[in-house]
Amino acid sequence: MAKLEDSWRRFSEKAASYTAYAKAWEAKIGAFLSFNPQHNPASTSAVPAGQSPVAGLPFGVKDNIAVAGFPLTCGSKMLEGLTSPYTATAVQKLIDGGARPVGKTNLDEFGMGSSTDNSALGKTNNPWDVTRVAGGSSGGSAACVAAGQVPFALGSDTGGSVRQPAAFCGVYGLKPTYGTVSRFGLTAYASSLEVIGVLATTVGLTRSVYDLIKGEDGNDQTSLKSEPGPARPVRKIGILKNLTGLAPGVEAVYRESLATLKKLGYTLVEVELPTLEYAVSAYYTIATAEASANLARFNGIRYGLRPEYAENPEDLIRKARTAGFGDEVKTRILLGSYVLRSGFQDQFYTKAQKVRTAIRRDFDRIFEEADVFLSPTFPTTAFAHGDTTMTSFQQKLADKFTVTANLTGQPGLSFPAGLADGLPVGLQVLAPVFEEGRLFEVADRFAEAVPPAACPGTSLDWSL
Amino acid sequence: MKHIMDIRELEITAELAQIALTPVELERLGREVTQMVSYFEKMKEVDTDGLEPTTHAFVKANRVRPDAVKPSTLADAALERAPELEDRFIVIPNVL
Repeated sequence: MAKLEDSWRRFSEKAASYTAYAKAWEAKIGAFLSFNPQHNPASTSAVPAGQSPVAGLPFGVKDNIAVAGFPLTCGSKMLEGLTSPYTATAVQKLIDGGARPVGKTNLDEFGMGSSTDNSALGKTNNPWDVTRVAGGSSGGSAACVAAGQVPFALGSDTGGSVRQPAAFCGVYGLKPTYGTVSRFGLTAYASSLEVIGVLATTVGLTRSVYDLIKGEDGNDQTSLKSEPGPARPVRKIGILKNLTGLAPGVEAVYRESLATLKKLGYTLVEVELPTLEYAVSAYYTIATAEASANLARFNGIRYGLRPEYAENPEDLIRKARTAGFGDEVKTRILLGSYVLRSGFQDQFYTKAQKVRTAIRRDFDRIFEEADVFLSPTFPTTAFAHGDTTMTSFQQKLADKFTVTANLTGQPGLSFPAGLADGLPVGLQVLAPVFEEGRLFEVADRFAEAVPPAACPGTSLDWSL
Repeated sequence: MKHIMDIRELEITAELAQIALTPVELERLGREVTQMVSYFEKMKEVDTDGLEPTTHAFVKANRVRPDAVKPSTLADAALERAPELEDRFIVIPNVL
């Protein structure tokens, strides 16, 4: 482990061979929307970065998170060409720790999607099989980590957008407890649900990055200090009593992993989660409602796309939004505007918020019976670009395992559990708020028994 | 209650969201919006009597900051990103 990170630290001395390696992969997978390892943003910290666990490491940043001097496009024509004048708190903390952002990674437009195919600005392929998607919406961040272009990357997770691509690309993906990482500098999509998360090659690095970026921030009123309970080892793992609808390969890895966890000494407890069937409905009602409000700011006036000609300000706004947003974004804005319209609000939005309470209560009960909860991250492995059985509606239904953590605020970690037909399968552990430590502990012990497979064609040869 | 959205409802919604849709787009996007709204109907099956709505994932308490002036150096950089500027004013088409 230390050896791996040591070779990464030679990054700055071996910039030329690093860049050549990263660019060779980039031609195959298109993980980045902008890549500039020479850009070296200033540290604002007086503390020398030498002691930091990320000192000298290059990292990728999802292109809906601000880094001064880099573009901030959100994968949208609306913001194409915009560069950020400031840096997100989470990124600044990493820079202060001596890490260096090398580029901005591709994503589904404004974080809306599960494939990264909804990006208006680039196509990202899965490094394990370039005919397949990298997942989404943080698909570029997952792909660049899996391909060894960077040892870690930041993403954002509104309904699974860190965990699902991590699963598709065979890397670790942490969605921290809501509020523990400042959202200052993250382009808002659904504010009550989302959090900046970490994608990395090892559990240790995932934890180091999380430890660095967490903390209260005066620039984000919803940020909070992590206050975990007294540390105690994880013994009981809750699993779903009736789990159906998994692709055969995912099912096989899941069953095998349960046997591994048993062998490691964990007690598996069957639990019920009756509200699971309603999680996707509640999630998409709330997420689209919040999106319709948050994306109202994109109006072509202060920044972003502006039409060549407009009769009046209203015409300008409509033309900018019509030309600037892609289909998925428009669909979600329409859906969100609809569920918030007077007359429908109680039926949809308020109802969804109450279902959200019911889901939280289900999880409170589960965490009395078990220390963590385990399920597959996604029902399938990475699907092919343009797979007609995975319509955007089907993709939404498949978010059911990941959206619960966003509704409850609880932390979740997707870890690589094995391969099915040569493609990575991820499992997800969830824990009560602030108990990220339990997630790392389970993933760490699992990795000792079943080390994650490296993506074929990756190497650190550039550092030799 | 049946809740299939007709085209007119979708047009009103698009108007509110300040998005112009061609008839072809109305048809294409309308299909998924309708599909999702019908799917949301499932939530009716959940008994939520007596449950308070959750508005935020996790909020401990309302947080306020000191009511004090803080210097910001971002204004000029932010203005530079406007599509059209005249001095420190952003230019838009005639309002009247």
